[in-house]
Amino acid sequence: MPLTMIDAGVETTVKQIHGRDQTRRFLQNLGFVEGAKVRVVSSLQGNLIVSVKDVRVAISQQMASRIYV
Amino acid sequence: MSIRLALAGNPNCGKTTMFNDLTGATQYVGNWPGVTVEKKEGRWKADKEIRITDLPGIYSLSPYTLEEVVARDYLVGEKPDAIMDLVDASNIERNLYLTTQLLEMGIPVVVALNMMDIVEKRGDVIDVKKLSSLLGVPVVETAAVKGKGTKELVEAAKKAVSAGKLPPQHEFPENIEKALQQITDMIAGVTEESQRRWYAVKLFERDQKVMARFQFSVDTQAKLEAIISAVEEELDDDAESIITDARYQYIGGIVKACVKKKKTGMTVSDKIDHIVTNRILALPIFALVMFIVYYVSVTTVGTILTDWANDGVFGDGWHLAGYGAGAYEEAGAEYETQTAYRDAWLAAAEEGGVDVSAITEQLEAEEPDADVLAGATAALAADASAADIVGTAAFEDEETGTVTEEAVDFGMFETAMAAEEPDPANYGIWVPGIPVLLEGALGGLGIADWLYSLIMDGIVAGVGAVLGFVPQILVLFIFLALLEDCGYMARVAFIMDRIFRKFGLSGKSFIPMLIGTGCGVPGVMASRTIEQERDRRMTIMTTTFVPCGAKLPIIALIAGALFDNAGWVAFSAYVIGVLAIIVSGIMLKKFRMFAGEPAPFVMELPAYHTPTLVNVLRSMWERGWSFIKKAGTIILLSTIVLWFLQSYGWENGAFGAVENIDNCILAGIGNALAPIFAPLGWASWQNVVATVTGWIAKENVVATFGQTYGFAEVAEDGVEIWANLQASFTAVSAYSFMCFNLLCAPCFAAMGAIKREMNNAKWTCFAIGYMMVFAYAVALMVYQFGGLLTGELSFGVGTIAAVIVLALMIYLLVRKPAKADGAEGLRKMSVQA
Repeated sequence: MPLTMIDAGVETTVKQIHGRDQTRRFLQNLGFVEGAKVRVVSSLQGNLIVSVKDVRVAISQQMASRIYV
Repeated sequence: MSIRLALAGNPNCGKTTMFNDLTGATQYVGNWPGVTVEKKEGRWKADKEIRITDLPGIYSLSPYTLEEVVARDYLVGEKPDAIMDLVDASNIERNLYLTTQLLEMGIPVVVALNMMDIVEKRGDVIDVKKLSSLLGVPVVETAAVKGKGTKELVEAAKKAVSAGKLPPQHEFPENIEKALQQITDMIAGVTEESQRRWYAVKLFERDQKVMARFQFSVDTQAKLEAIISAVEEELDDDAESIITDARYQYIGGIVKACVKKKKTGMTVSDKIDHIVTNRILALPIFALVMFIVYYVSVTTVGTILTDWANDGVFGDGWHLAGYGAGAYEEAGAEYETQTAYRDAWLAAAEEGGVDVSAITEQLEAEEPDADVLAGATAALAADASAADIVGTAAFEDEETGTVTEEAVDFGMFETAMAAEEPDPANYGIWVPGIPVLLEGALGGLGIADWLYSLIMDGIVAGVGAVLGFVPQILVLFIFLALLEDCGYMARVAFIMDRIFRKFGLSGKSFIPMLIGTGCGVPGVMASRTIEQERDRRMTIMTTTFVPCGAKLPIIALIAGALFDNAGWVAFSAYVIGVLAIIVSGIMLKKFRMFAGEPAPFVMELPAYHTPTLVNVLRSMWERGWSFIKKAGTIILLSTIVLWFLQSYGWENGAFGAVENIDNCILAGIGNALAPIFAPLGWASWQNVVATVTGWIAKENVVATFGQTYGFAEVAEDGVEIWANLQASFTAVSAYSFMCFNLLCAPCFAAMGAIKREMNNAKWTCFAIGYMMVFAYAVALMVYQFGGLLTGELSFGVGTIAAVIVLALMIYLLVRKPAKADGAEGLRKMSVQA
């Protein structure tokens, strides 16, 4: 399911990233690769702060819905 | 022998701090050729032979962002002697991703493991020796914030350069290696051996920029494509993702071997974020922070500093550290009381039939003659009828508003006449202002009148007016630097993103606009943090719609002269500013050059940490200095031109300095331009000229009205010229004038900032042109529709024009957005600390 549906504080693993190549590559460069452990730190009206590889990344809802966990 | 080192690393890894520590004051800041990406170069403090180039903060060497392209072009094209790769040890995994790519460049690499203190605090352990042996390159522990390990880093880089040993290559999984080998063979003849690995990987990723460099024949291209797709098919993924995955796999192995993690859940930073970006608290907390910043830097401390700079340094002078200011004020108040006694008695005397014309006439003169006054007073003392006159002086208590009356007899009048206006220089330590000092100095030199006028009325008055804002701006910059350095600024963009996205801007556009309420120059400059070019350009174009501090006097003037000081006028000015931004955002999106969604919001949030004084002050100074430089160049030039236009013209058939301002060249220009503004309802040349001088600095508008209506000096709200304005304007045309001046091109300083941030003459012209057209359209509608409503205008050509403009605007607002011009590269998505 998309990352948008994960509750804050729960750690999960990235399964796949959908979407346009460029967006996808950008997410991958930031550490969102298959198998990476992610945790939602906080959510604000759909926008998320996600912890991945010890980094906090803020992503919009639109981006988060492309990350499947 | 000089050595060239490149400093590379992720955004937020402490690279800027490291660079500052290495190079100190020797750095040179410019732009990379052709782009607005900042390029910093400097020499090592300890050895000037070592030149260091600071590469932009990047996450990888892909061709998608400007920063990445700039960095890799530099590494491939200029081939520095060694790369110092700064790795944030507290998120080592993601940082090593860039390292794996740097290792392939065919250049010696030294890894600096920064922020080890955070790692230790967390209780984690990193085996540095093992990391070094696994990567095959030297690893140096550093703490850039404390300046620790930086010397060792450069020494290690020097050693790596003299050894000339290239880093060993890590192996990708076998099937990828096989494909890479095949590609390497294909390009063996046309590349240097050291760079072959990098080219092979990039070709495997189908990197368009690298492909273009080789100009393969159709045959070779087909062969390459076959190699790549074979692997893609085997692994069921695209080539680029395959490489990315393989890199992270490899890094995963290294991290497992070298890093021992103490399992922790939420970090302190996470806990802060839990509150600060909380769904309920986020906005209130944000509003509170902004209120404090705004309140301190614009109203309290900022105003004190601006007053000091404008009235003190660039005015008459000031009391050092306020010493003597209190005594002077008391003396001033006492003098005012005496003047009130004097005037009250004189009024009573006039009513009582005593001839006091000798005194009143003298008092009305520009510089009353003290001897004549003393003589006239003495004459009155001899006049018996004067002795019986008793006047009534009324004093109003400013706080309570109660009026007390005092009787003034002739004795009090005599004392009052003898009272002298206090000279501030006699109280405490008085420091004269620059104009006063210059006046003295220039007077002594005996220079020509025109030169004196150029320096005093042109340069000092013009540049001084702008430099007067420097202290206030510096205060604002300190706050900004604090917010940036502690990590909150990145969160602000996150919080505001959902709201701003609705009208086509990203959350990062909010910060420039907020700063713009103080001054548009730093506001426009703050747009740098917006990575996507399209979003940044739109932000630059709309930021100065917000009424800045210098536009407030214009609002006060119009509100005072024509709206009886109604509070809603000032409020409506802000509403118009915000609406202008929203409407522009939606409208501009309908054009192809701005079309498309704002860049999807992805931004790394740096961990919260205590700001360091050095960083904050340095950041404040860097921004402040660029503002001062601008005042010294573009504003200086424009004030000289304006001074000339205002002081010279044809008078009595000859060209020269004019006595009457109606004859100056500027008035001629104003008259020529006036018809253009006739549909807006204010076609007199004074109004046009005031608008023109507003482009030098907006606070000039009120002063220019004063001059053109023949007043030497007017108060900030121009109370002296209210009557003139009432004659020249109707309520509707005054409001139209205000709208135009609020929305049209900002002052030269801000236009200079726009030019610098656009870094492109065409875009600068477009931005300024857009503001002009937009301002004209709004003012036109205000005047035409407003005039129709109040009955001062009848339906005519102007009305039709206004209707067309309105229709066009509505059409642009509701029209379907244009198609985007292809997918533009996502630019670096991070706020650089």
